[in-house]
Amino acid sequence: MNASEVMDPHPTTLKPTDSIKSAAKYIMKNRYRSLPVVDDDFCYLGIFGVNCLLKQVIPKAVFMRQGLENVSFIHESLEDLFQRFAEVKDQPISDCMNNTVHTVAPDTPLTETLLQLYETRASIPVVESGSCKLLGMISYWDIGNKILHAGGQPDA
Amino acid sequence: MLDVHQADVIFGLSPVWFAGTLFVITYVLIVTERLNRAIISMMAAALMIMSGVLTQQAAVKGVDFNTIGLLTGMMIIVGITRDSGVFQYLAIRSAKMVKADPWGILVMLMMVTAVLSALLDNVTTVLLIAPVTLLITDTLKLSAYPYLFAEIFAANIGGTATLIGDPPNIMIGSATGLGYNDFLFNLAPISIFILFVSIIPIYVIWGRKLKADPKLIQKVMLYREIDAIHDWVLLKKSLFVLTLVMIGFIVGHDYGLQPATAAMFGAALLLTLNCLPHGQEKQTELVTKSLNDIEWITIFFFIGLFILVYGVESTGILEALAHQVLGLTGGDKTVTAISILFVSAVASTIVDNIPFVATMIPLIKNMAVSFGGAAQLEPIWWSLALGSCLGGNGSLVGASANLIVAGFAERSGQPIHFLPFMLIAFPMMMVSVMISSLYVYLRYF
Repeated sequence: MNASEVMDPHPTTLKPTDSIKSAAKYIMKNRYRSLPVVDDDFCYLGIFGVNCLLKQVIPKAVFMRQGLENVSFIHESLEDLFQRFAEVKDQPISDCMNNTVHTVAPDTPLTETLLQLYETRASIPVVESGSCKLLGMISYWDIGNKILHAGGQPDA
Repeated sequence: MLDVHQADVIFGLSPVWFAGTLFVITYVLIVTERLNRAIISMMAAALMIMSGVLTQQAAVKGVDFNTIGLLTGMMIIVGITRDSGVFQYLAIRSAKMVKADPWGILVMLMMVTAVLSALLDNVTTVLLIAPVTLLITDTLKLSAYPYLFAEIFAANIGGTATLIGDPPNIMIGSATGLGYNDFLFNLAPISIFILFVSIIPIYVIWGRKLKADPKLIQKVMLYREIDAIHDWVLLKKSLFVLTLVMIGFIVGHDYGLQPATAAMFGAALLLTLNCLPHGQEKQTELVTKSLNDIEWITIFFFIGLFILVYGVESTGILEALAHQVLGLTGGDKTVTAISILFVSAVASTIVDNIPFVATMIPLIKNMAVSFGGAAQLEPIWWSLALGSCLGGNGSLVGASANLIVAGFAERSGQPIHFLPFMLIAFPMMMVSVMISSLYVYLRYF
C-alpha cells in the first residue's frame, strides 16, 4: 500500500494571495489545523495553519534562530496579541506559510508515509513526483480511520 | 628558531618557502570564508606535519593548552549558567532601571554587554543580550539598529578589559605569563574610558532621536524580570562556581595556578553540582548537553592555528620578520608599540584577530633580545591586545560577535549591511585606537 491509496484526493486549499485575516477566519470557523497553499495550477507552495497564526502574535524574538528560550517574564493580554495580529492581518499568507513541511510522493510506501506523518505531527501533502502538483492530503484522521476499518470491523 | 627536527626539502621547496606559502594560503582561505575556518586550520596543521616541517610530537608542543583549556572551561560554565535565566534577568532589569526610556535602555544594555563581555566572552554575551534587545525594541516599535550597533561596540570594548574577555587576550596572557590582574590594571581603565567616549557619537547619530510611545514604555515596565530566572538552585550553584573561578583568576597567578586550571576546575565542579542530584541517565544527558555547548569550531580552529604558526616559527620566518619590523621602526620601542597597535587594529578589522594574534605573539617574542629582555616587551603586549581587540569594531567581519549580532539583525528583518556599518564603525574604532595609543605612550614611555 502507498500514499496515494490513503490520501484525501480533494483537499480544501488556500491561495497564496489570501490575506492572513481571511485564511485565519476560515481555518478557525472550520476547525482546520492546517491547509495546503496552492497556486492557480494547483502547484503546492506550502502549509498555512494555526502555527502560522501563533507565530504572528508571539514576539519575533522568540521564533528566530537562537532567539529567546524563556519568555515567562512577558505578561501580555489578549489585546496585546490582537494588536500584533492586526499589524499583519492584511498581508498575504505566502508571507507566513510554512514551506519546509515534508511532502510525500503518491508511490511512497505506507510505513514511510506514516513515519513522515508521525514526525511532521500535521497533515502531509502528497505531491506528484517530478512536478509540484498537489494530488491530495493525508491527515491523522484519514489514516486512523483506515487502520481501524482495515479488519472489517470498525468497533474492533 | 625552535629546536625541531625538520625535513630539508619539501615538494622541491625549502621548509621556509613551504611553510610560508602554506601560511599565506591558509590566511587567504580564512579571509575568503569559502570554507569553514576550523577545516582550513586543521588541514593546514595536517599538511605542516605530513610535509615534515613539524613532527607530530613537535606539533603537539605548539598547541597552547592553556588557551584551549581556558576557552573550553569557560564555555562549559557559561553554557550551564545560561540555563538559569540570569542573563535575561540582567538585561530586563537594566532596561527597567531607566524606566524603559529608549536612550537609557541603549546605554544600560551597552553597559551590561560590556561587563558580561569582560567576565565571560563576547560571543556568549551577544547571544544572550541580542534576543532581549530585539524583544524590547520590537515592543517599543523602535529600530533595533542603534542598539545592536552599540552592543557590538560594547562587546568588543568590554572584552578588551580582561584576560578572559577576548581570545587575543587569552592567547597573549598564556604566551607571556601576564595574569588576570595585569590585564585588569592595564587594560580595564582605558577600556572603560573608551566605552564612555563611544557613547557620544552613538548619541549624536541615533540617541537624541530615540523616542517611544508612553503606552509601549509601560509594556516594557510590565515585564517581570524575576520570572526570567527559572532555576534558582542552578543560579546559586553557577554564581558560586563563577565566584570561585574569578577568585582563582585573581589570586591564582601568584601561586602558579594557570587560568585554564581555574576554568577547568570550575567547569568540572559545576558539572558535578549540576549532575549529582540526578541518576545515571539524566547525568549523561546533562553532560552531553554541556559538552555540546562548547564551540568546537573555535577550539579546533585554535588547535590548527597553533600548529600552523608553530611550524612557520620553526622555519625562522617570524624571527626574520621581527628583525624587519625592528628595522622599520628603527628599533625604537615606542614607535614599535604604537605601530603594532595601529597595524593590529587595521588587520583585525579585515581578518579574524585570532590568527593575526597567533602570528604576532612569536614575532613579538623574537624582539625581546633587541629591547633588553622579555620584561621590556610589556607595553608592546598591551598594544597588541588593545589593537587586536578594539580593531574588531572596525567592520562587520572584525569579530565573531559582530557576525552573531548581524545574524540576529537579519533574522529580525533589520539587516546590518557591511558598508553602512563600516562607515560609522571604522572612524569610531580609529578614535578608540588613537586614545589607546595616547594611553600607551603616556603610561609606559
